[in-house]
Amino acid sequence: MANSILLTILEVILMPLVAFIVGLFMVLMMRKLAAKLQRRVGPPLFQPLYDIVKLYGKQTQISHGLIHDIGIIMAVGGYVAAEALLPVPGMDGIAAKGGLVTLAYLMMVPSLGLALGVGQCANPNGSIGISRALTAMLAYDIPFIIVIFGVAYHFGSTNLVSIIATQQAEGIAGWGISEMPILAIAGLFALHASLGKQPFEIYIAPAEIATGPMVEMGGKFLGGLFVMQTFQLYTASVLYVSLFLGGGENWVTFLIKCFAVLAIPVLIAYLFPRYRTEDLIRLVWKWPVMLALLGVAFVMN
Amino acid sequence: MSMLDTLLLISLLTVLLTGLGQRVTFIGWIATLLLTAQLLTLLLMGKLGYGGEIIDASFGFSILGQPLNWRYDALSWFFALITIGSALAGSAFAAGAWGDQYRKEGGNPGLLQFSIALNVLAMLLLLGSGDLLSLFIGWELVSWASLLLMVIAGGRASEFGMRYIVYATAGAMAVLAGLAIIFQLTGSFAYDDLAAVAPALNTLQIVTLTLLFFFGFGIKMGLLPFHLWQADAYAETPGPGTAFLGAISSRMGLYAILVVIIQLIGLVRLIEIEIPYSFLSLRDLLMWVAAISIIIPTFIALRQSDARRLLAWHGIGQGGYMLIGLLVLDPYGSAGGLMHVFNHATYQAALFLSVSAVIYRTRTSDLNRLGGLVTRMPLSFLVMLIGIIGLAGIPPMNGFVSKWLVYRSLIIEGMPLLFVASVIGTLGTILSVYKLIHNTFLGQLRLEHEHIREVPLSMTIPMLVLSAIVFITGFMPGLVLDWVGSAQVALGMPQLAHTLGGVESTQGSLDMIWVCSVLFGGFAVGALLFYSGNKAKRVHQLDNYAGGHFLTADVRYHYSDNFYAGLMHHIGSWYRGSFLWLESSLISVVSSLSGGAQLLYNSFHPALYLLMAITLSLYFFIG
Amino acid sequence: MKSTDLDRIEVNPKTMPKRTNPLANVFDDLVRFCRSRSMFMLHYCTGCGAIELPPAMTSRFDMERLGIQPMVTPRQADILLITGYVSIKTLKRVILTYEQMGSPKYVIGICSCTVNGGMYWQSYATAKKLDEYMPVDLYIAGCMPRPEAVIEGLQQLMDKIKNDQANSWKQYYENYDYYLGNQQKLFGNNWQTPTDVIGEAEIYRLMGPQTLGEHTKILQQVQKPMEPLEMKL
Repeated sequence: MANSILLTILEVILMPLVAFIVGLFMVLMMRKLAAKLQRRVGPPLFQPLYDIVKLYGKQTQISHGLIHDIGIIMAVGGYVAAEALLPVPGMDGIAAKGGLVTLAYLMMVPSLGLALGVGQCANPNGSIGISRALTAMLAYDIPFIIVIFGVAYHFGSTNLVSIIATQQAEGIAGWGISEMPILAIAGLFALHASLGKQPFEIYIAPAEIATGPMVEMGGKFLGGLFVMQTFQLYTASVLYVSLFLGGGENWVTFLIKCFAVLAIPVLIAYLFPRYRTEDLIRLVWKWPVMLALLGVAFVMN
Repeated sequence: MSMLDTLLLISLLTVLLTGLGQRVTFIGWIATLLLTAQLLTLLLMGKLGYGGEIIDASFGFSILGQPLNWRYDALSWFFALITIGSALAGSAFAAGAWGDQYRKEGGNPGLLQFSIALNVLAMLLLLGSGDLLSLFIGWELVSWASLLLMVIAGGRASEFGMRYIVYATAGAMAVLAGLAIIFQLTGSFAYDDLAAVAPALNTLQIVTLTLLFFFGFGIKMGLLPFHLWQADAYAETPGPGTAFLGAISSRMGLYAILVVIIQLIGLVRLIEIEIPYSFLSLRDLLMWVAAISIIIPTFIALRQSDARRLLAWHGIGQGGYMLIGLLVLDPYGSAGGLMHVFNHATYQAALFLSVSAVIYRTRTSDLNRLGGLVTRMPLSFLVMLIGIIGLAGIPPMNGFVSKWLVYRSLIIEGMPLLFVASVIGTLGTILSVYKLIHNTFLGQLRLEHEHIREVPLSMTIPMLVLSAIVFITGFMPGLVLDWVGSAQVALGMPQLAHTLGGVESTQGSLDMIWVCSVLFGGFAVGALLFYSGNKAKRVHQLDNYAGGHFLTADVRYHYSDNFYAGLMHHIGSWYRGSFLWLESSLISVVSSLSGGAQLLYNSFHPALYLLMAITLSLYFFIG
Repeated sequence: MKSTDLDRIEVNPKTMPKRTNPLANVFDDLVRFCRSRSMFMLHYCTGCGAIELPPAMTSRFDMERLGIQPMVTPRQADILLITGYVSIKTLKRVILTYEQMGSPKYVIGICSCTVNGGMYWQSYATAKKLDEYMPVDLYIAGCMPRPEAVIEGLQQLMDKIKNDQANSWKQYYENYDYYLGNQQKLFGNNWQTPTDVIGEAEIYRLMGPQTLGEHTKILQQVQKPMEPLEMKL
């Protein structure tokens, strides 16, 4: 008993660490792919790490108050906690104690923290950014949640560990993507929208609202957001892999799948400009939701 | 004398003392003290919450040969706990500095305490009703008592109160009609007789009874399309009154629905009844009413620019979760629904109190006239933060647990659209509660609010206690799930097997102790990272990026109005006020009907109509 | 003493004294290396100089391979890139922007205009020498310099940062009186920005003998208080 608790605690510590390292490479991949699409060389291997170290190493920085600080802490901490709910090869963490729905809602904690921090900055650009981010969340979470329903209903469980185990037991034919291809497409769409990359980057919109939530963030505050981004990319892709691609049998296939899943939206993203908020809602509430509902209809029959 | 007698006596004493001591300056504290005594008495009856024996009142009446009696089971105890708890929070909040200021402004805090005490007594009677007749009496008492609380502020509040009483009377008529039918069928008002007869009733009778009671009790819950009265009526009540009303008042409707429709008539019958030309059963229809009652009020709340109205609209929306959970009829859903009653009461009371604290200092709850108060009222901010996390149903607060149970049952029972509807409600809630906290506490602090201070201790303590409950029952939901489990048994539903941290199941479990611990561990890591950087200098809010522009204090740049402009650009046209239109057309239909009837009555033979009415009613009661 | 006299500034030693703890040295080196390899750039562009930046950033020359990327607000940026002339009106904004950046921060003046006013030398409305108002790390002269020159200049800055020679941001704190004096000469004695440079210098122990002086006295007389809104219970 005590042994298993210790083991769980060890896993809970290790999982975010792994997530951070993998996330750094995901950021790198994203920037490299963008560079390749634009026929550039792109950043060097450790660029994401340089950025974070530099930002945390800033000597002077400003804070707009305690909530500004706490917001960043929540933004990073919420994701650190969310990683413990995402099973990876060899480590389940507390995935069995939370499950899909918990994970989906736990992932809102960092967004809420960020929103609070930005609110205290008293910068209208930031507030507009948050209002857009929440609007975007309302848009993409609806198809996302339908997809989650479909998967959980199909596997008869909200427990990620058992969902992954069921998929792996049957091989590729048992993967979510082979059994629920329509849901998988809708899920990929929602995943793309949730990343906040073009054409869905309404809440960053540098030319319009000066990077929205990040407007007053400098030094370790921005550094925290960079760390959060690594976790965000990791969480999104691992969640997708766990739902549709059978999770990870071992680390090699697991990482290949994760990076491949992430590469698809990234490759699409840098070919597009930005939607307006209402167009984003219209688009996301139309196609992915329709696909997801269709997928659920197939799953339930 | 049983414990129940003691409880009701103390409650009566509270009403009498607060009623008589209107001029006494410390009447608030007396009321608080007596409510505490009620709470303690209730806690002495605590065995009920853990599957104890039903406690009967030793008194009883008999009207027209029909016995009236009162008793408390686990369900009543659970609801009574919430009632007295929220009344105590409101009363304590109003007792100190808040009451003094209210008196200075011409209000009568004694009257407020009296109406809260009266409401508590009425609710305790309703919750203890042992037969349909006492249920109806309690129901009417609650209706009129809450009217008193609604119209205290006078002015527009009386208008809204009148609107409420029209709805409430219509509901009461429906309930009365339902009771008349039941009496015809069973010849008594006893619960057992109805429960015994229920399986033998034919479809038409079941449908009629269900619809009548659902309509009658649903009005109190603000179920669609009868939701229009509630937000206005609740929001106009002075501060702590809103907290009490918002926390528990509408749940009386849920209690009555639970007792009559779910416990006595039985959900199984409702599932069997198919609605012609649709895929829905009668139960599904009711669930869809609940689902729409989640979505529409939540999105109406999103449009409000008054903090109290925003919260009051959410109160209606959250009622839908409770009903939807209870109607699923599996242990998870019903536990979630019942638990949400408790959770909702705690965070909603905390939120209303926090808004009242803001009004106490700034004299306004207009979300476009506030901002930046976090530096001035940090404790109220903390309370509101905990409250909105609970309301939005995000871990680690208690609102998450009850919603999780509801979601889970909807997933496992395979109800995708209802599940999506309830999640849409949650997402809309997140949007609007962020607007609430952002426009009130975050952003630019206005010049005129520079010198505001935190509210006094007499107000912060009730708020903080409530938020502590919100967190603790989120951290260890098993505490509440014990009571919920007993209430489920009392309702004749399957009991949810639970642990202290949540639920263990092969189909997906929840252990909030682990989830919360890991979450706070994550925060600790985040803090470690954050404080590993060099220190940050705190700056004035005007030291801000504005594209090189120099900001000044006299320019208001807080982004508050039309907060979700992009969203409203898209869905704004969906707010057509269809329900207002429905309400006004109903009013005009009723008024033209009554006008016609009056014309008929005046111009023809009044005596004949009187005779007809008497004959009909005689037939109705005797035949 | 003339306030425009640049020699008056005591330039602090080019390199900081090394810390005795070898681990701390390694750490400092690492942070400096990361600083040199990750530079977020805020470009303040007037007129012609702006034209040369897009090619430097995009496919042809690709700044990102050096770890340089454009940023939007001063809070996020490390480099303030000023291309072209600064009129007296815009100089106010440039100074505000500079003061809002987090240190270590670097200023690069591109084009002749920032060096000596360039073709606007005779204009009554142009601030001619940028480094009278804020410390400039690097000038890239030319009218205008080509992207190769810009990249070359940025690489020089990288080397300076790596070798701990790009510490001009400290001069702004240590000689604030001098810079403020020049600013007051242009904008009048009522000049103040919402940023609290002296307070920052105090908190971060960057006060020098020249931080306070006659000009800061004037500032402290006219200044509207800008204390942060502290939480009060």
